[in-house]
Amino acid sequence: MNDIIIDTHGLSKSYSGKPALRSLDLTVPSGAIYGFLGRNGAGKTTTLKLLLGMIRPDAGEFSLFGERVKSEASAIAARRRLAFVSEDKELYPFMTVGQTIRFTRAFFPAWRRDLEKKYLDMFRLPLETAVPKLSRGMRTQLMLLLAMARGAELLMMDEPTSGLDPAVTEDILRALAELAAGGETTVFFSSHQLAEVEQICDRVCIIDEGLVVIDGVLDDLKSQYRRIVLVFDGEPPRELADLPGVDHLRRRGRTASLLAHVDVDRVVDRARELKPISVEVHPVTLKELFLDHVRGE
Amino acid sequence: MLWYKAWLETRWRFAFLIGSILLVWLMPLWLPSLSAVPASRQWFGLQLESVLLCMFAAIYLAGAGINSQTMYAATSGFHGSMLFTLSLPVSRRRLLFVRAGLGAILTCILVIAMAGYALFHRPEPASASQALSYIARDVVCTMAVYSLSVLLACVLDEMWQFMGACFAWIAVYLLQSRFPVVALVSPLRGMSLIPYSGKVPTPWAPVLASLVLVGGLLYTSVLMLQRKEY
Repeated sequence: MNDIIIDTHGLSKSYSGKPALRSLDLTVPSGAIYGFLGRNGAGKTTTLKLLLGMIRPDAGEFSLFGERVKSEASAIAARRRLAFVSEDKELYPFMTVGQTIRFTRAFFPAWRRDLEKKYLDMFRLPLETAVPKLSRGMRTQLMLLLAMARGAELLMMDEPTSGLDPAVTEDILRALAELAAGGETTVFFSSHQLAEVEQICDRVCIIDEGLVVIDGVLDDLKSQYRRIVLVFDGEPPRELADLPGVDHLRRRGRTASLLAHVDVDRVVDRARELKPISVEVHPVTLKELFLDHVRGE
Repeated sequence: MLWYKAWLETRWRFAFLIGSILLVWLMPLWLPSLSAVPASRQWFGLQLESVLLCMFAAIYLAGAGINSQTMYAATSGFHGSMLFTLSLPVSRRRLLFVRAGLGAILTCILVIAMAGYALFHRPEPASASQALSYIARDVVCTMAVYSLSVLLACVLDEMWQFMGACFAWIAVYLLQSRFPVVALVSPLRGMSLIPYSGKVPTPWAPVLASLVLVGGLLYTSVLMLQRKEY
């Protein structure tokens, strides 16, 4: 198995002159549960569609499973080894659950009947029921079954839990974690459900307006980043914005909130020189990281 | 399995078309006033209905599933289950080949049935070679109608594909009525039984033109689908 499952270099895409993705460099290691985060319209779905060959990049290149994808033939070869769950979870409305499984099975010689049975039982999917009669949650479960039973090495999911109730969401997250724990499947999923990402992902990438703003191992990011909260007598001084090592600055009234991840102690020392009346340093959550990076000051 | 999927998504359209054709064929039984109409005029009406039904079948069957499995797919940005299809390890050319291929087969079955029925009710009997010649050119010329619909289905939502195809063929009909050169090669003239007579030579020019059209339109459809972004 390759160490790197997804590798993109300078991937760019525009729609009617409006950039959706700007020189995306992404590296997804094998076996990871990789959370791809961003606001609506940040470029998440565009990235997934590019990787699947549904749209073409304006610039840049990418590899899947160590093979450069540059033609339809190479994209088809890659698609034999991956599964995709789209955001709207649309399957064929003219098929039943059983027909959908039989149809999908035909394209994947390594189909695992044992996993098919396992997930049919786990999700309690009725074989004879027509797809339009399934709830959104059941459609997601069916798509997961189709993805897992084909023996995919890469599972790409676009907002897998959007519109699902908490119980179904929990079932799905548990199934994903179980799948990735086997070590044979890499899970790459886009989301803006930060709590879910924090619950199951080991790596995250945050993109905003088509640009990567954070990429790394989630635990490392959380241990590196610190929020420094400063309270001043009056309005926070303008010099705060120029302090070296500050990633983001937010001001509200007499309070300034800095986000820093390089040489945090030095940033704190420099901040003290500006005579705040109090200084507090806190660890950050993924939500804070996300909001600071996609909102800015 | 792609053929199976194509059949599942088309079968109700096919059944609807068979029902429509039977309705047209059985209409005289419900309308006794038709028996007063001379046989030659009845036959004229029948072959005209046959041409219209062939066109309807070609346009309607081409719309199923080529673009997506939704009514509003090509331009609305909502692609329904097409994203699932495109994530399978299958080329777009093959997807189009199977989808358009099944539609073409079903259209041909209906065209042959309708042409055979029209010939059977023709006042003056036709020889076997004449009948075969008519059926062959009817099939080829209907395929030109079908191919245009396939191309339109690659770029338009289904409702617009249907209306666009109807508009295009009405325009062809008007043009062929005005300009003899258009009439010479028009697939619509090739589908008609009117020039079919022992005294009039078989119109082969529309057949050749239709063959060229079918090739050109399907080739363009493949190119469009391969370049299409979802």
